[in-house]
Amino acid sequence: MLKDTWRIGECEMTSRFFLGTGLFPSPFVQQEAIAASGAEVLTFAIRRVNLESVEDDSILQHVEPGSFTFLPNTSGARTADEAVRIARLARASGLSDWVKVEISASDKTLLPDPIETLRATEQLVKEGFTVLPYISDDPVICRRLEEAGAAAIMPGGAPIGTGLGILNSYNLGLIIEEASVPVIVDAGLGTASDAALSMELGASAVLMNTPVAKAKDPVGMALAMKLAIEAGRLAYLSGRVPKKRYASASSGLESMMLKPASAGDFGS
Amino acid sequence: MKLIINGGEREVDARTMAEVIDRLGLSGKPVVAEVDGHVLVAEEWEAFPVSPGMVIELVHFVGGG
Repeated sequence: MLKDTWRIGECEMTSRFFLGTGLFPSPFVQQEAIAASGAEVLTFAIRRVNLESVEDDSILQHVEPGSFTFLPNTSGARTADEAVRIARLARASGLSDWVKVEISASDKTLLPDPIETLRATEQLVKEGFTVLPYISDDPVICRRLEEAGAAAIMPGGAPIGTGLGILNSYNLGLIIEEASVPVIVDAGLGTASDAALSMELGASAVLMNTPVAKAKDPVGMALAMKLAIEAGRLAYLSGRVPKKRYASASSGLESMMLKPASAGDFGS
Repeated sequence: MKLIINGGEREVDARTMAEVIDRLGLSGKPVVAEVDGHVLVAEEWEAFPVSPGMVIELVHFVGGG
């Protein structure tokens, strides 16, 4: 089998697992989980430095430079303008020109605001960013984002951090079928089967944070997710059988017919 | 001089942005700066003069998904 790589812009990747860096119980567990995941892309958030306590609490101190592609997000943004501002700050770090546009419209669901997300994507593409918008699983807005120049589309399986899994595999399948850029299922996944299903539907990759970081054993779950992503991808490439309403024997009915035994068969 | 840093007023004895970063104990740390709404990359800090009332935002990367 040929090496199964994929690309975003100029970046060729083997791993199909984007891992978030929030919520881990310790930097040590986080590093072990990153290693177990095989992830090549790590996501971060951007926040004000706490000037009252300036010990180095940046996440970057725990990550080996040069080993990963960094995907800063715009979490906390409520409008396109705020997201653009955060993206510009992230790029000024010199670490990456990739940005995950994340603009929440509700504190309760953290569901993305599609209008503001589209506006931010248009602006950031103009400014030369590699834009990966997090968006709801609506095929129409996904198409609009692609037309706006998004390098990948990242529809959610369910609201962030809920672990509800893929709530609408029909929509997700349609988005994947119609997209000509990579589709990365982002948010709401809970366990390995959700990751496998994402890949079986034909997603190019999966982005997760909470189901790994908040698992009882984050390192074990990171490995489980990695294997599930690989299994789901292989199943997608191999092609599942069509679903049928009724049974069909796998050994052929003819071979099941045994002749009725006669008295002589058992000897005397 | 008085500067507005991360939403709060602070008295900082500094002439340049690099000195502001130094006075706050942030030298060598992966910090990104915005001054009066404009992003200022680290290479510009040394030559960038600060003046009273400037609004400075200092951010860094934290864990997130």
